[in-house]
Amino acid sequence: MSGEQVGFWVVALAILGAGRQVVTSRNLVHTVLWLAVTLANTAVAFVMLEATFLAAVQVLLYTGGVLTLMLFGVMLTTRDTGFVDVRSPLHRGFAGGVLAAAVMALVSASILRTPLPEARVTAPTTEALGASFLTEHVLAFEALSLLLLSAVIGAVVIARRRDAGDPREERGPAIRPRAPRAAGGAVRLGAPEAE
Amino acid sequence: MTNDPWLRALLEGAAVVTALMTAVAWITWLERKIAGRIQSRLGPTMVGPFGLLQPLADAVKSMQKESIVPRDADALLFWLAPPLTLALALGTAAVIPFSPGLLASDVDIGVLYALALSGLLSFPIWIAGWASNNKYSLLGGMRMVAQGISYEIPMVLSALVPVVLAGTLSMGGVVRHQAEHGWFVVSAPGVGFVAFLVFLLTALAEGNRIPFDIPEAESELVAGPTTEYTAIQWSLFAAAEYAHSLLASAIAATLFLGGWDGPVLPPAVWMVLKTGALFLLITWLRWSLLRLRSDQLMSLCWKLLVPLTLLLLLGAGTWVTLAT
Repeated sequence: MSGEQVGFWVVALAILGAGRQVVTSRNLVHTVLWLAVTLANTAVAFVMLEATFLAAVQVLLYTGGVLTLMLFGVMLTTRDTGFVDVRSPLHRGFAGGVLAAAVMALVSASILRTPLPEARVTAPTTEALGASFLTEHVLAFEALSLLLLSAVIGAVVIARRRDAGDPREERGPAIRPRAPRAAGGAVRLGAPEAE
Repeated sequence: MTNDPWLRALLEGAAVVTALMTAVAWITWLERKIAGRIQSRLGPTMVGPFGLLQPLADAVKSMQKESIVPRDADALLFWLAPPLTLALALGTAAVIPFSPGLLASDVDIGVLYALALSGLLSFPIWIAGWASNNKYSLLGGMRMVAQGISYEIPMVLSALVPVVLAGTLSMGGVVRHQAEHGWFVVSAPGVGFVAFLVFLLTALAEGNRIPFDIPEAESELVAGPTTEYTAIQWSLFAAAEYAHSLLASAIAATLFLGGWDGPVLPPAVWMVLKTGALFLLITWLRWSLLRLRSDQLMSLCWKLLVPLTLLLLLGAGTWVTLAT
């Protein structure tokens, strides 16, 4: 086995092992951190295929994704246990197994059907990638931008939705000025302000 | 010099890390001296002439102290966070060109690599905050993540301005372009200068420095994510913070100030001078400004910096189109 093959098997086993930990880990934060290990190893695999641009983008984008996932995980679950017990009855496990096998078959079938080049191909340079985005694949590129734009606008709309008639909300997110101090230093809470 | 590429890479890496850690040790001295002068005191004076041996004394002290792991902490992650932080902070050094010949690896995506590592930095700090099992640590970690993923956007966009102007993602390529066509901070009027300021500002935010240090705001959160840390582990966090500031200065110098380019003096000296000048600027800011409030921090990022950097990118594109 050549050094490159050894490297491939190390990275592949790391990806699979970390992926297994993602599913079986009992602690939510550990799960998300194992996911980060999986994604980092995928980036290493990209580097070994000389697709360095893809590797850098993988790290750059998934960092934010994984961190956000972690925040949701921590904020939406209880601190004591850190995980929710989702062990399912046997028939659901069977359904899950069938589904997993079906996905596996689908993915392997499509890999096997794709004519892969025999000879070693060098990954396209960043420049070539950029050029093909703006020539050959410009339609897909623009469609993606539109999709992302609508997602951003949707997020803003959801974040800004407020109950009508709540006077506190209309003042905006700025912190309200402190109540003026009365003589003697006592704070008048809720007292009408003298104009 | 040996011909074995692996051994060569190992030796170069060791040399760069040693040089950086030495620099980090003495910039802590420099910062304490400057802070002292700004606050009308002397800073360290007792250990060695002008207190110059203070970093060594501090290192020995922190190694002697007991490393305490809180009883209910997640011990493994608690141990893992400090070295991970330092490793990520130092990793950026691999793509910084110190002189035309002295560059650990001139990969064609150098700028992206540096940005990706810089963005990862809030990761181990969040881990530290969570693993400590302390409410102040966790709040600090949460703030670090919110700040990190927000400021990463204007940081990447402002770093793309020199990339567009030079037409390459390689750090060495960006410097070579500037050596021929002039430094970006002046050569693309307005665009380069504003992008330089935005990059410096966002680098401060990623590195958790004043005015963007709400994650460890000591008046509210004790010491944020590092509250529970003691001894050498705390020192690793401190070293990572300084290493990040130093390397962010080096990246800013590379992208906007022409890197090693300069007259008379040898290239490496120019690089060190520029990096040092930017680091002094950052230090000066740190001891002059106040901490921003959380909501001010977010408004600044999303309402000013993000639209501004998008405009800058458009300006850079227009400039390149008109120039060619």
